[in-house]
Amino acid sequence: MQALNLDYMVGLVPVLLGYLPLTLGMAAAGMVCALILSCLLAVIRVSRLPGLNQAAKLFISFFRGTPLLVQLFLFYYGLPQFLSFLVSINGVTATIMGLTLHFSAYMAESIRAAITGIDRSQTEAAQSIGMTQFQTMRRIILPQATRVATPTLMNYFIDMIKSTSLAFTLGVTELMGATQKEAASSFLYFEAFLVVALIYWVIVEALSWCQKRLEKRLNRAYQR
Amino acid sequence: MTAFRTLARTLAITSLGLATFMGTATAAQAETLRVGMSGGYYPFTFVDHDKLQGFEVDVMNAIGKQTGDDIKFVTASFSGLAGMLDSGRIDTIANQITITPERQAKYAFSEPYVYDGAQVVVRKGNDSIHGVEDLKGKTVIMNLGSNYETLLKELPYADEINLKTYESNIEQDVALGRADAFVMDRTSASQVIKDKPLPLQLAGQPFSKIENALPFRNDDAGRAQRDRVNKALDTLRDNGELKAISEKWFNSDITEAPQSEGSEKTGSDS
Repeated sequence: MQALNLDYMVGLVPVLLGYLPLTLGMAAAGMVCALILSCLLAVIRVSRLPGLNQAAKLFISFFRGTPLLVQLFLFYYGLPQFLSFLVSINGVTATIMGLTLHFSAYMAESIRAAITGIDRSQTEAAQSIGMTQFQTMRRIILPQATRVATPTLMNYFIDMIKSTSLAFTLGVTELMGATQKEAASSFLYFEAFLVVALIYWVIVEALSWCQKRLEKRLNRAYQR
Repeated sequence: MTAFRTLARTLAITSLGLATFMGTATAAQAETLRVGMSGGYYPFTFVDHDKLQGFEVDVMNAIGKQTGDDIKFVTASFSGLAGMLDSGRIDTIANQITITPERQAKYAFSEPYVYDGAQVVVRKGNDSIHGVEDLKGKTVIMNLGSNYETLLKELPYADEINLKTYESNIEQDVALGRADAFVMDRTSASQVIKDKPLPLQLAGQPFSKIENALPFRNDDAGRAQRDRVNKALDTLRDNGELKAISEKWFNSDITEAPQSEGSEKTGSDS
């Protein structure tokens, strides 16, 4: 039974924290892009736009049906064989694109559920006062759906932060990649992975706190 | 709609960041040799407190000084390196790549710069395995995509070995007793046993001689890079620098070809 090498752990913290901006940056960029794409997909699915609806279904089916790692490898190592301009896309960009495509497929479904969860009578009421379909969506349905979808979307964001750990296979040394390399040279596996686990945990706890505040704000209109 | 405005602002900042990332990607310099390595193969390529170092790093920097090229290191998990070379994201791999007929058909290899041997390593105190001939019925692990997998599969009793490939950390799984043995190069294994706190020991003699070199893409540009690197390697060999780097990391010269068949010289690879 070896003792925990605390000095090593303390020394590792600032080293690993240096990779936090990259990890969080990739996740944040992925989240923003995924939010836009998934809203589009959800609206297409809800309004059953002919043609586009089928395309959205296929997109969701593929990106939900295959692992993120497979998608990253396909995109980063596979496709450039046929489309040579893709070589100029670097690992960070490829990771963000992969996260966007993968998670928007999931998020679209949860946003769709939030939209269809808003009672039909509200759409009818909005249209009875002369709102167009677009106005109804933007001013009546989406604000309410946002509130319903927030907790699940936050879950996907948390998942996305942790999924950035796959970027190391594309040559991006992020938080987990840095930890793997440190562990592979010190052979202090427990110490290294414990430090990185604590860092991820603290980030997610901080996010949960933000989520609580956000939910409170979104719920203001519903408090009685 | 402050929420929308915040979102828009975040998006603007993000796309700016994205553009910067892409900008750096396309700004390729003519005189840069991009070298891929795992950064997880002590003491050839490893990272200690964010500092990339090791035998491979020193060799590549010495080569760069000879050719005048900027050496740019790119680290990625070992299984991603070949894909990066094939897709043109790096120009070579410095990770103790062993020359094999299959790889030779695909890549343009430099001349060998490390001569080593494949080595079986077991948990300390395990005296039931004395070499590759005792691996029948055992669980043996190795790095994914490494040449040792091929070496073991060529054994006449290969189907009796429970062979597993890992992404990383094979040393730890043998130290924990989860697998009976791992196979890697003699030099690296000896160094790990000497320097690191894991309970491991060498099992017998190295069982296969290996020659390690730098693979380049087999096209005009790749072969030109290979020729430049070969010239630099010749110079480093002649002026003793290659030997000095080897002795710095291994206290012995692993860069010189063994003189005769019965030589003691051993080698390693990934």
